[in-house]
Amino acid sequence: MTNKSINYSDKNPDSSGQVVQATVNDKRIFIGTIGYHILSNHSIGPILLPQLQQQNWPEGVFIDELNWGPIAVVQQFEATKIPYDRIILLTAIERPARKIGDINVFQWQGGLPDKKQIQACVGDAATGVISVENLLVIGQYFKIWPKEVFLVDVEPGPEVAGEHLSEEVAVKVPAVIQTIQTLANEGPAKIKEITYLRGETLFL
Amino acid sequence: MCFKNLPIAFDKDGNAYLKEGVKDPYEYKVVDLGIEQDKLKDLMVKNGFIRSVDYDPVTRVAGALAFHSVVDLEKKKVLSTNSMATLFRGYEIILKGRDPRDAAYISSRACGVCGGVHATTSALAIEMALGIKPPPLGIVMRNILLAIEYLYDHPLHLFLLAGPDYSEELVAATNPELIDKAGNAKARGKAVHGYSTVLDIMKDLNPLKGKLYLEALSMTRVAREAYVAIGGKYPHPQSVIPGGISVTITISTLNEVYSRLIKFFDYSQKVTAIWDDVFDFFLENNPEYEKCGVRPATMADTGVWDRPDSYDATFKNCNEWGNDRWSTPGILVDGEVVTTNLREINGGMEEFVEHSYYEDWDGHRFKTDPMGMPLSPNHPWNKDTIPKPGKQSWRDRYSWDTCPTWDRMPMEAGAYSRMYVTAKAQKAPKSKFLENTGHSMRIHVPKHTLPEKTLEWKIPKHWNAFERNRARAYCIPYSAMVAMENWMLAQQLIRAGETKVSTPYEIPKTGTHIGFGAWGAGRGFLTHHLIVENGVINNYQIITPSTLNAAPRAPWGAPGPYEEAVLNTPILEKYNKPEEYQGIDILRAIRSFDPCMPCTTHIMAKDTDHVVTREVTTCACGIE
Repeated sequence: MTNKSINYSDKNPDSSGQVVQATVNDKRIFIGTIGYHILSNHSIGPILLPQLQQQNWPEGVFIDELNWGPIAVVQQFEATKIPYDRIILLTAIERPARKIGDINVFQWQGGLPDKKQIQACVGDAATGVISVENLLVIGQYFKIWPKEVFLVDVEPGPEVAGEHLSEEVAVKVPAVIQTIQTLANEGPAKIKEITYLRGETLFL
Repeated sequence: MCFKNLPIAFDKDGNAYLKEGVKDPYEYKVVDLGIEQDKLKDLMVKNGFIRSVDYDPVTRVAGALAFHSVVDLEKKKVLSTNSMATLFRGYEIILKGRDPRDAAYISSRACGVCGGVHATTSALAIEMALGIKPPPLGIVMRNILLAIEYLYDHPLHLFLLAGPDYSEELVAATNPELIDKAGNAKARGKAVHGYSTVLDIMKDLNPLKGKLYLEALSMTRVAREAYVAIGGKYPHPQSVIPGGISVTITISTLNEVYSRLIKFFDYSQKVTAIWDDVFDFFLENNPEYEKCGVRPATMADTGVWDRPDSYDATFKNCNEWGNDRWSTPGILVDGEVVTTNLREINGGMEEFVEHSYYEDWDGHRFKTDPMGMPLSPNHPWNKDTIPKPGKQSWRDRYSWDTCPTWDRMPMEAGAYSRMYVTAKAQKAPKSKFLENTGHSMRIHVPKHTLPEKTLEWKIPKHWNAFERNRARAYCIPYSAMVAMENWMLAQQLIRAGETKVSTPYEIPKTGTHIGFGAWGAGRGFLTHHLIVENGVINNYQIITPSTLNAAPRAPWGAPGPYEEAVLNTPILEKYNKPEEYQGIDILRAIRSFDPCMPCTTHIMAKDTDHVVTREVTTCACGIE
């Protein structure tokens, strides 16, 4: 990681008229957090957002929450004059065969489910459902994603209400941030294991 | 005398009182729903046609409803319906014990579309409870903000959620006989929308690719941009507070809003012409569509958009400031206005939980409202939310939704209700853009790129799925013109130096203070009832449009609005075998109410094992 000044922004720099500056290895990188609030481990995105913003990021790294609706995200990305090269999403989705706090990196490889499922995603999205699957599918349908889209996904366990992370997840926070930093600063080659996700199989 | 079922009468001075000689004025009959279930079971045993149905709970994160119906595919009739909210949300419990100033921000989260109206309704409840009157510009800007929220919501409903049911793809799959007819049906609104035939329109209603679908997506952006100029962010505005708004308003802000609002002038003309063409086509080609989702026009609406010279936030004057709103509060019973007074609307409200997963509550703390109108123990101010999860049973409890009634009648809610009441009651003050005739609302839309035009929404003979959606289309120019009129007022206020947008207030640390907020969501009626005691929230009750529309049976057996509308819906879909049946008529009926969050409809074909499961979207903000 370089020691350049912090240049993350909670607004898209293009849309706010700022000059887009240097990048990490000439890449513009967007780190997005997704998830409902007050759902303990399921809310790792919103909980870690301030911490992520406080990290010392190189120029060209932008951090924002992405809970404000996939349609709006699509419109925002479409309005971005210079597209991002890499998207990193911090999520917490309950998956089988994982222990609470396990961290996995997934790479979105595109593809789409059937039209009915896409329309269902749009319906959910337009009515306020927060879902990374919806965001991935709708983003794919409207062609906003760059080639490199990654999910850093932490196993949250069963859904419970709560403002804080459980102990099992809290101890993994440095590792979660480190994984995101590695992806942002050094790229996927430095990640030991990456699992692929595709739209066709996302809802099976 | 607006009450027919509750024993409330009025003296010569208009003061309400409980009729004398009624032993238990609020007693009601509880019907055993098991009798209906036994009959169905009996039928099953006799002819083997009807099967019991299993329901998968819908467990999406944001909340869910499910809808069950038993259909006779031979007679093309719906035999039985149940509307189920499958999730407990508990905002009433979350808000208990909190500082009242938290309420607007927390209750806003009840909905992912209409956060602004929840925040505003909450602010209104606090204003009434604590006697806070916002300054004129605060009131006017709130009106603009919420009119714009509707301008986001209405196109979303019409083109993204309900619209695909009338698209070429869906119609070809469910009623192919209409496709050729649509191809030959000349579109009457061509001069406005540019489509030659109804089929051309239907093609552009196709989901994901149709031009009208994509245009609606982009119009939601236009509305959102105008919205955040005032609200700071969408869908949960940061600037709606008790006492007004917390953002400085300048001419630049108004210009930002105007440059977006003006785009809805042409769009209003286009959308109303589009839906007039589509719905007229269906109804003219098969009059049986009149019965799709039909039910009596028995509806409740709170009214919206306060006059800055009238709204004083007091309970005492709520009839007056309510009647001065751009949209008139009111209760319609079978198409007739029975009251437009907010006190009576509030006084007649009750909530029942006999078929919901809640415990009944004890006590009758507020026997009257602050002006002496009798209140039922089931009135929201008296209600306590006590969740009681349990087994789903059609005989007993099957929903997390409660059954709200007004004067013991289930009430429908919708954006259309506000237009219906306003047009019918003719009480709204004179407006530059709106004219209420008693049988219609005329909306004078100024020119933009299209020439100016007067649009007219007419109260329909039958209140059905098509008319709900048609009215919703006319709610776009209605909302846009209210926004425009308020925008002009805001200009005047700023020019006159009246730039104050909020009134400071303190939370009293002692005493009991009650209030209610009455405002409309994109899909209609919304109330927040609040009791502040010793500086914190002692009770908070939310009734949303979907609380009304998705209600389970009343204790005395009356079906909720979804349940009734679907029961009355004929099966007009064409299919060769039951397995091909898609349930489009039932979906049109439910979707016409504008449910807004994921919902699943299960339809059981009577003489088969075929269960149709379809995603609808329904507003989970109605779920407690």
